[in-house]
Amino acid sequence: MGQLEGRVACITGGTRGIGRAVAEAFLREGAQVVVSGRDAAKGAQALAEMGAGDNAHFVVGDVAVREDCEALIQATVDRYGKIDILHANAGGAVDPAPVAAMTDAAMQGTLLVNYWHTFWSMRAALAFMIPQGSGRIIATSSVEGKVGTPGLSNYVVAKAAVNALVRTSAKEVGTLGITINAVCPGAIETDAMLDSAPAAAESMGMTYDALKDMFAQASAIKRLNEVEDVAEVLVLLASDAGAGITGSLISIDGGTSPY
Amino acid sequence: MGKLDGKVAAITGGTRSIGRGMADAFLAEGAKVVVNGRNAEKGARCLAEMGAGDNAVFFQGDASKQADVEGMVDFAIAHYGQLDICCLNSGGVDKTGPVASMSDEEWQLEMDWNLNQVFWGMRRALQHMIPRETGRIIVTSSVEGKLGKPGIPGYTAAKHAVNGLVKSAAHEVGTLGITVNAILPGLTETDNLTENGPASAEAMGLESYEALIDLFTQGAAIKRPNKISEVAAVALLLASTSGRNITGTLFPVDGGTMPY
Repeated sequence: MGQLEGRVACITGGTRGIGRAVAEAFLREGAQVVVSGRDAAKGAQALAEMGAGDNAHFVVGDVAVREDCEALIQATVDRYGKIDILHANAGGAVDPAPVAAMTDAAMQGTLLVNYWHTFWSMRAALAFMIPQGSGRIIATSSVEGKVGTPGLSNYVVAKAAVNALVRTSAKEVGTLGITINAVCPGAIETDAMLDSAPAAAESMGMTYDALKDMFAQASAIKRLNEVEDVAEVLVLLASDAGAGITGSLISIDGGTSPY
Repeated sequence: MGKLDGKVAAITGGTRSIGRGMADAFLAEGAKVVVNGRNAEKGARCLAEMGAGDNAVFFQGDASKQADVEGMVDFAIAHYGQLDICCLNSGGVDKTGPVASMSDEEWQLEMDWNLNQVFWGMRRALQHMIPRETGRIIVTSSVEGKLGKPGIPGYTAAKHAVNGLVKSAAHEVGTLGITVNAILPGLTETDNLTENGPASAEAMGLESYEALIDLFTQGAAIKRPNKISEVAAVALLLASTSGRNITGTLFPVDGGTMPY
């Protein structure tokens, strides 16, 4: 008997990286899972690789677009009849740069995919979860939501905003059987990191390898985290055992964050 | 195939409440478990209830005494040949009160029970774990490790200190396959709470035990105490292979009580 038997989960950015590992963990625990992404071909590939048949479904959408976020939640309910778990996971840093050189587009774009996406998805999911009297919302934040790395201000600001949203909303629905938490992973070499970190490294005046080493050295384990580290915490938070954990910003960072 | 097959755990204050919840969760996943407590009768009852045969054993000792804490670690290694998971879980207060009326004796007890226990047990366990390059130290801290309520200054100070100890130690052994974490439960429905809650309420100048429960849960988003099983589930995650890259973390199980 899986820990998530009979549950329906929706994961933004679920075709690769952390979201994909979480999707597989949720499926293994008996949930039905909707994953989203911008690229239909990658979505089809993810479904084929997961091999979960009718228990997994892909919806194409851009988390930087409100209508897409809201449509994804509706599509989840249309497909499987309800939504029990939202994992607002998509995110990334758009054109990171020091504040003095940060463009409006880079700040705005990063807020859209991290903060606004989480807000839009959460609001839409709560519209179903509040009448249902149960639900789990988990945002993928970052160690950067707790600390501040120079050259990454847009990402740091966006993740800090996600953390604040989680703390506030958790208190709003705390007695309604709904928990809202953020996981704050340390650096993980996902496709998303490979996409955006070289530019971040450049903005910080270093090579990509030096950036990875900097993140590893800041931790106690002196290595990067892995997507599986996050997936197991997500299962715990999504399961019945997670009912008493809410408003938490859970560090999964090998000892990097100071709190 | 359990998540803790072949692992050995030792738990201070393991016969009841949160420690017992951890013991039950670990046994269910294939671990062998040493549970500690002061009272031999409660230890025997605990073993009988768990019904785990040779996979569980009781070690009588006082978690506020250095020889007993170190003795538990040594006993686990001698009895089962190794120690993989050390849960420094026992803690509490005796005759607590505000700072202005706190006795030296009570203060010392609270430091020994809540802080020194963790240091003594962690040091002894690490001396065994470091050469083996594997291990898990799990400390039961508290929301009071980040907050501060009137009337429990010793407990609060000790839990703050424990959190610092966990963070330092995690960085010392981070590359050795050993993780060191603290779980920070909010008010949890335990035997300790029902037994000592009324006295604590009085010490804090509250009208009743119910007022104490209300005070401690109004700060939570869920407006209820946490459950032992909720804390045990986190301990299991941290103890398992899945927890290998989580260290130095102060893991909240507090229904949304702490501000950070």
